[in-house]
Amino acid sequence: MSAATATTEARLLLLGWNFRSGAGSVRDRIAFSGDDVREALERIRGRGLMSEGVIVATCHRSEIYGVAEGSGTDRELTRMISEWRGVDFDEAAQSSFSLEGPEAVRHLFRVAAGLDSMALGESEVLGQIRSALRLARETGTTRAVLHRLFESAVAAGKRARTETEIARHPLSVASIGFELATKVFGEIAEQTVLVLGAGETGTLFAQQAAEAGVRDIRIANRSPERAAALAAKIGGVPVAWGALPGALPEADLVVGATGSPTAVVGRDAVERAMRQRRGKPMFFLDLAVPRNVDPSVSEIYNVYAYGMDELEGVAEENRRRRQREVPRVEAILEEEHSRFLTWYGNLAVVPTLNDLQRRLAELRDAELARLPEGERERFREFADAIAAKLLHQPLRRLKSEPDASRRLDRVEAVRHLFDLDQ
Amino acid sequence: MASHALGWLALLCYLGAELLAIATLIAPRPAWPRLTTLAIAAGLVLQFANLMNRAHVLGSVPYRTLGGSVSLFAWMLGIAYLVLLVRHRARAMGAFLIPIIVVATLAGLLLPESAATASTASVAAQGTHGSVFALHVTLAILAYAAFTFSFVLSILYLIQDRQIRRHRTGLLFARLPALEVIGRMNRSSVTIGLAALVVSLVLGAFWAEVVWSSLADPKVEWAVITLVVYGFLLWMDRRGWEGPRVAVLSILGFGVVLFSYTIVNLYFSRAHSFR
Repeated sequence: MSAATATTEARLLLLGWNFRSGAGSVRDRIAFSGDDVREALERIRGRGLMSEGVIVATCHRSEIYGVAEGSGTDRELTRMISEWRGVDFDEAAQSSFSLEGPEAVRHLFRVAAGLDSMALGESEVLGQIRSALRLARETGTTRAVLHRLFESAVAAGKRARTETEIARHPLSVASIGFELATKVFGEIAEQTVLVLGAGETGTLFAQQAAEAGVRDIRIANRSPERAAALAAKIGGVPVAWGALPGALPEADLVVGATGSPTAVVGRDAVERAMRQRRGKPMFFLDLAVPRNVDPSVSEIYNVYAYGMDELEGVAEENRRRRQREVPRVEAILEEEHSRFLTWYGNLAVVPTLNDLQRRLAELRDAELARLPEGERERFREFADAIAAKLLHQPLRRLKSEPDASRRLDRVEAVRHLFDLDQ
Repeated sequence: MASHALGWLALLCYLGAELLAIATLIAPRPAWPRLTTLAIAAGLVLQFANLMNRAHVLGSVPYRTLGGSVSLFAWMLGIAYLVLLVRHRARAMGAFLIPIIVVATLAGLLLPESAATASTASVAAQGTHGSVFALHVTLAILAYAAFTFSFVLSILYLIQDRQIRRHRTGLLFARLPALEVIGRMNRSSVTIGLAALVVSLVLGAFWAEVVWSSLADPKVEWAVITLVVYGFLLWMDRRGWEGPRVAVLSILGFGVVLFSYTIVNLYFSRAHSFR
């Protein structure tokens, strides 16, 4: 046992810069793009700082997860990163945060579940964690521990989103508008969407509608060139500004997104359109301030109209709804957390040896049970002697492996080969 | 007195289906909607066996008694529900529609069995066994079942419309289907009801010509009024009233149905009632 205790224990650690930890300017200079992540991982490996490494890089966070031995790794890592990115060491150190062991695991799980995101419960981060693992695997910097850790994090994040409502209520006004419209029309993809204004808001909404599968998108803009450009980009149809009254009756969902200081769709126009539509519902989503659509249109039979105030009210309510789900998400994360830690704890040599001995004793007893009563004692000694001889050399090597990370890999292999995690 | 063990078992199935449907609304699990449908189907089979048993004991059609008539109504509700489910795939409606089946089934089990009055006895004597008469009554009950669903769907429509207009995006908003879907289901219900009522009236008229040699009867008059109300509803649905107005009209129509099924049936109509 002396060889095992002589080697230093491998530790899980996390060094990060995110929107909570400190100055945005430092964070922005450190932030990794896709290629930077690869390079950073290679630099870390080149320096021999850690035996495993994965980098989670999103708009608001750069987090380095690793398995390392000894102490002071986070300091050396900070120095390496600050030199590479040209940031003052003290500044980089001050705006960073670092966690170890179970706390690092808990942090990653919270990130995966969207609890650490600016928009609570957002789902994009799950994909970012997946691609972090993929990049690290391609660079060859993951092995047993981080691989398992990140797969557990993705599983925890998925569970949080399917078993609670943390990701169910939309937060952006466009998504809320879509949700409301869907509750009127059913399939939104089958409807005709008319977007007024080809500026930033109009473009974003038109793109979102195209992504949602809407086949018939029409774009009206005062300058026809921009309408045509946006229509071409998203596979829609441009509508001449002057032809708006004629286009209105054909539209099921009308989105107001022009910068016009006065309303561009009046009550009379909508009343005429509704007569032509024979009462078929019409839905106005006014994303413009000041409003593009006369708000009194909602008094017309079967016309639904929403402005930014109403949509933002719903967004606020949805934020509160997501907030209420946090305790349930945390309960799920705790479950996954302890499941991972149990696995991780078993990776130490001693528990694995105990498990292995237990497994062999089970096999031996099962075989002995088939023998006549009188002969069992004799064969037990014989079986134990063979098992001890057989395992002597492999176990000695396992215990005396000086490289902690390689030792973890081998323990994991033993657990896998002898099916010890059952 | 017929034994209703099968009827009570059917009621248990419907109750189970309702519990599953409510659970699905609160915290959906993939297997639950299918289990709900299975429970309804099992209830329908049991209830059908119960109806056959009633018929056997009476030596006649099961709706000679009020209990039997309401049981058949409950069974028709179940059938109509399955048709709507298959046609529109709106499983979320289960929690709101199944309670009507439960209540009707319970009423069918508790309402009196006997009370075969002189009038019904005479009807029986004049040929209750005739298949024309049986089909006439069955279709009339199917029509009432379909109009009942239309009534509930209309209420749900108005609730969902209110949620959307007041931007209340809570549990009810999330779980109720889109207005378009509820409206479509409502249209299906009314269409089934109207078709069943028209055929039932024609068969009834044919039968009455033979047996009574007269069509003058308050219940027939009210059935024609029902026909006019729902016919008008379907017509206006295509002429700009689709939506809340049609829902309100359907609720009014159901008032007429209730009136003719209860008041007219029990107090005005002599030769034509069953209780």
